[in-house]
Amino acid sequence: MSEFLNYTINGALIGLLYALIAMGFIVIYRASKVFNFAQGELVVFGGFVVWWMITSIGLPYWIGIPLAFVAAALFGFAIERIFFSRLVGESVFAMVMVTIGLLILLRGLILVLFGPQVRPFPIIFPLQPVIIGDILIPRSLFIGGMITIVVGLGLSWFFNRTRPGLRMTAVAEDHQVAVSMGISVKRSVAFAWILGSVLSTLGAIIFLSGKSVSFLASEIGLAALPVALLAGFESIAGVLLAGIIVGIIQGLVMAYVDPVIGGSVGNVFPFIIMLVILFIRPTGMFGWKMVERV
Amino acid sequence: MDPAGVFATSFARDQSLIRTRKQLICLILFMVLLAVLPLLVGPRLVAVATSALITVVVTVGLQICTGYGGQINLGQAAFMGSGAYATAVLASKFGFPFWAAIPLGGCAAAAFGFIFGLSAVRIKGFYLVLTTIAAQSLFHFLVLNLPQSWLGGSNGLSLEPAQLFGYVIDTDRSIYYLCLVFAVVMVAGAFGIARSRHGRDFVAVRDDDVASGMMGIDVVRTKAMAFLVGSFYAGIGGGLWAYYVRFVAVDQFTLFHSIWFVAMVIVGGIGSITGALIGVVVILSIRESFISLGPTFVQVVPWLGGDVVFATLNIFLGGVIAAFLIFEPRGLMHRWSIIKRSYRLWPFSY
Repeated sequence: MSEFLNYTINGALIGLLYALIAMGFIVIYRASKVFNFAQGELVVFGGFVVWWMITSIGLPYWIGIPLAFVAAALFGFAIERIFFSRLVGESVFAMVMVTIGLLILLRGLILVLFGPQVRPFPIIFPLQPVIIGDILIPRSLFIGGMITIVVGLGLSWFFNRTRPGLRMTAVAEDHQVAVSMGISVKRSVAFAWILGSVLSTLGAIIFLSGKSVSFLASEIGLAALPVALLAGFESIAGVLLAGIIVGIIQGLVMAYVDPVIGGSVGNVFPFIIMLVILFIRPTGMFGWKMVERV
Repeated sequence: MDPAGVFATSFARDQSLIRTRKQLICLILFMVLLAVLPLLVGPRLVAVATSALITVVVTVGLQICTGYGGQINLGQAAFMGSGAYATAVLASKFGFPFWAAIPLGGCAAAAFGFIFGLSAVRIKGFYLVLTTIAAQSLFHFLVLNLPQSWLGGSNGLSLEPAQLFGYVIDTDRSIYYLCLVFAVVMVAGAFGIARSRHGRDFVAVRDDDVASGMMGIDVVRTKAMAFLVGSFYAGIGGGLWAYYVRFVAVDQFTLFHSIWFVAMVIVGGIGSITGALIGVVVILSIRESFISLGPTFVQVVPWLGGDVVFATLNIFLGGVIAAFLIFEPRGLMHRWSIIKRSYRLWPFSY
């Protein structure tokens, strides 16, 4: 029983980590109507910036991490200026393909800037696990889960209750309508990318703390896709619930089904969930019901 | 538009692909050039040309699916892979000759693509992109996790060289000719599809699916058909690839390869078969020069390290996709037609 609880709780916390990464997708979508496939690369970039600030230059944590967030924000802004400010009102195909081009481009850029070596990531959260009764939880995931919930609820409040947030919501609904209502699409898109980039860096800190960082860590971006899809691309609070659901299912499948079948069903299972959602209910659990059907 | 003095007096004439005597001569010269190419250049370039011919088949399929049908497809490499695996299994386990195994591989890929085409019937835009990406990871998962005796798992599959009337096709040149024959047939077929009723259906559905539904086009069938045709082409390309490399492994067909195919379509020009050909040639020649110049470059500036080739290749690919979508979304083919038009109209502006 305690074993089962262990798998469930750890699964839920990993799910919350996925939710934090997925929040990057959703924030960018929610404020610009761009679906960013390069999210995993943003995470790796954030991770490398943190590594560079703290391990390579040797700044203390309380300077290095805020500076890394500032760098990430600038980076997000630069991406918006270079690519997406020129694409306002373009077709879905153009938007999607530009983010995929960005994925490849950033991967090359990371390789050129930071090299292909695997770098040790600074230990930001202490390594000893949190122990509650019989249950062992990695501390980074535990603290990360708390941060994710707070950030998720905060962002949800921002997008649903405040004026600037609602303005961005209008942009996500329709660029043309938003412009005709006097909302600056470009400013909204810029803000989206800054926020998305900062969130990715936060995700990188929680995901990589005490591990190592290389450009292969971007896999987490694809792993977070099913979570974003299950929540529906517009719901920020929903992504927390979706993350917990996917995380628990994946954790239990890995623990109980993988040994029976052999192989890595657990790793592919989120994608199977994703396909099922796409076929049955593309809007996810909490998305706006405006997926065009034929 | 046609040069001055060329007028179509019948519908067949108006739809014809070769419109002037000069075009016919150019086409014949080009075919002759393709036919004698392996006799003129070294083995390295013959290998590049062979892989270009295979890529042409796959990319033309993607052009039909994405450029004409409007169905965004990031799973073309997975469809190519399913064709390659089907061909390899049929040839090595059941002893099919290549002229049966390759088309059957195409059919297998078409079936695999059709399943995902069915999802295009329900969803579009980036949800469709997600589905085709899922096709990509599902393909990997299936190959790696099915019993090893079926698809070889992570070891891959190897197969015997193709044989025709006792003649073994295993030299660089003979494989080049094999691929050339298939590529010419497939490209000619693509031109045919593009101007047939189905081609017009594709374009109509791409431009506006609601309006084309109102005009009596079966939108569902057209979308599924676009995927079917596109993945059939991918499967034929995969079969040729299987006979060319004589070894099929899952890491030859990744999402990264799919993105290269899409980049070729974007650079060449969306919605033009010739554009796909141009895209393949341009992108492949740049990629090959990167790869062949890379070692020299690394020797000149050693501090960048050996991975710089791979890294710059990534930057180039990503940059090209983004730059073309931002500055010239209609691709090189559009540029070319502007040049041709202004040349034909000169010295008048209309």
